[in-house]
Amino acid sequence: MDKEIVRGKKNSLTDVPGVKAGHLTVHEDFLDESGRPVSTRTGLTAILPYAMDKEMRLFAGAAVLTGKGEMTGYEVMDDFCYLNSPVVIANSYNVGAVYDAILSYGFVLKREEVWPPLVIGVDDSYLNDMPRRLFKEEEILAVFRDASDGPVQEGAVGAGYGLRALGWKGGIGSSSRILVLAGREFVLGVLVASNHNNGDLTSGGDSLTLIVGTDIPVLPNQIQRVVKSLAAECSSWTAPGGTDTVSCLMFSTANPMSMENEGPRVFSYKMIDDSFLGRMIEAGAEAAGEAVANSLVKASPVQGKLGRVLRTIPDSELAKIKQRTG
Amino acid sequence: MNRRRFMGTTLGGLSLWPLTGLIQEITTSPRLQERVKDEPRKRLRELGIRIGTLETGPHNALTDVEGVRVGQTTIIKGEGKGAARTGVTVILPHSGNVYEENLWASAFNLNGWGEMTGVAPIENTGLLRTPIFLTGTYNVGIVYGAAMEYLSRLNPRMGVTEETACPVVAECFDDFLSDTPSRPINTDDVFNALDGAKPGPVAEGAVGGGTGMMAFGFKGGIGTSSRRTGDNDTVGVLVMANTASRSELRIDGVPVGRKIKGFNPQPGKTRSIILVAATDAPLLPFQLKKIAKRVALGLAQAGATSHTGSGDIILAFSTADRIPRDKQAPFRDVRSVSDFWITPLYQAAVEATQEAILNALTMAGTIVGRDGNTAYGIPLDQVRRIMMKFSSID
Repeated sequence: MDKEIVRGKKNSLTDVPGVKAGHLTVHEDFLDESGRPVSTRTGLTAILPYAMDKEMRLFAGAAVLTGKGEMTGYEVMDDFCYLNSPVVIANSYNVGAVYDAILSYGFVLKREEVWPPLVIGVDDSYLNDMPRRLFKEEEILAVFRDASDGPVQEGAVGAGYGLRALGWKGGIGSSSRILVLAGREFVLGVLVASNHNNGDLTSGGDSLTLIVGTDIPVLPNQIQRVVKSLAAECSSWTAPGGTDTVSCLMFSTANPMSMENEGPRVFSYKMIDDSFLGRMIEAGAEAAGEAVANSLVKASPVQGKLGRVLRTIPDSELAKIKQRTG
Repeated sequence: MNRRRFMGTTLGGLSLWPLTGLIQEITTSPRLQERVKDEPRKRLRELGIRIGTLETGPHNALTDVEGVRVGQTTIIKGEGKGAARTGVTVILPHSGNVYEENLWASAFNLNGWGEMTGVAPIENTGLLRTPIFLTGTYNVGIVYGAAMEYLSRLNPRMGVTEETACPVVAECFDDFLSDTPSRPINTDDVFNALDGAKPGPVAEGAVGGGTGMMAFGFKGGIGTSSRRTGDNDTVGVLVMANTASRSELRIDGVPVGRKIKGFNPQPGKTRSIILVAATDAPLLPFQLKKIAKRVALGLAQAGATSHTGSGDIILAFSTADRIPRDKQAPFRDVRSVSDFWITPLYQAAVEATQEAILNALTMAGTIVGRDGNTAYGIPLDQVRRIMMKFSSID
């Protein structure tokens, strides 16, 4: 059946062949120099879109709505339409540390370089004393090294450890869809970091971040169409008034390109017909919705900064939201 | 109706266009014979000025990109009040039916005070699906309608059972020389331009859509140029120039605009430039966007600073691969030049753009339009003198 949409085996971004993911979760309590208690409730989530020891790049693109959050590497992706770096979500204060570690990762792998690093910043300051704990390079490199193609761990984990969504405990969620397009089977996976719609329209720190991976052969202008539609769709789940940052980054593993300066002058790419983009967007929106729900449902309660506690969303609340958003 | 229409004619590669227009003006207005003593117009290269280092194509024109054809209708009607100096320039992007076989394309909006219809679908799909029309601001609706009629005649199922294409119609405001509110253009004018579209040399200056345009304080209009890269790719550029002020004009870096004496135009506004680049190199839309941005650099090298009121809009397309509209195959193989090999195409685009803009100036003779408004052709003798003087300082 061409039209049936089914989940991937792991119902995870890692259903896309070659894609791996991993987390670093940091939970620390200590006293600062003046004896004030500091709560660290943070982490990072890394996605490796392909075997990173290879000198190659993938077509990619991003749509950022009402963007106040950081996305490094955006200029190259916007203009040259590719990525060749892990995609890492981390709290805003750690963007520099992660950026630097990704550069180191390239040298560790003995690649010419991994550049530009793709780091997306999120604000976990509700639970986390954000400025007080920088990740160490070896911690970050260990995440890259140990990244797995198993189901992505969800909830209060990695970059999601300190996040808050809909006033409840937010975090990392993932989901995937199998699409049969013109007789060929493809997968589209979504990973989200839910930190949105907390009813605080003035802080400006709320965000919903989506990473979409697929093996469907889409070219850059097609990726743009998909990410714009998905960002618009997800935007309707965020705070009214468009105060939340909505970022959607997408890559396709279908057309790996060499990074060599002396490579071939003309590349050949596979491309799917535009008429299938609607099905992709539909599947992506479904998977994104399910990933957001997973990020909430799987998130255990976390107590953090100033004794604040975020609890798991009750089923009754989730049902209400599902009813409202479809 | 005292409407005179000319189809572009060339003789031995030399355009007679501006000359014909000028003769017309002089013979019909004795008063002008005193005021206008114009010299024969020449292309920049014929003045001994070369821009950049790359070779040009055989015609040094947009049409050096194989399959690209250009047609123009020039409308010169009346004198004094209500006079019309306008027209349309049409670019057929390849030798076939572009509605059925699309080309990769991309637009770059350097300064958006202008109109280029059909850009939204190009930006979304990356595909150019119609000819490109350049005309005066108030002509856009009429030209758009004619374009739809042309597309429908060629593709009777379009808009009936098949999807509709959005034609690319771009404009500059020719109000200084032309009575624009009278909208002195009709469907026949557009069809004449389409019918007359041909490869080979392109008429420049006060011709087609450029008939009433002014650039850098002088008579502007249509200009074109091309370059070939060492990889044997061709980039062609065609502009409709109606932008910038005289003091900005630079030719190969020389501030010629500041040095020219006399020939001050009557007060009037100059604004907007439409620039179209074509290449036979296989490029995807995001790469054509980069080519379009380099075209903006060529505009800057001619000295323009892109005023608030200047609609500086650029379109770039590649003729290398035709993408069929009626898609038989759900999956397709496409080609594109590697990013690491693309730089020579940028150089070609920048060089050709500067030269195309300057050709629009040097090929446009003095013209008198509505209410006696006069746009002077840039004085070529002064241009040559200034360029010689500057090149002698070493």
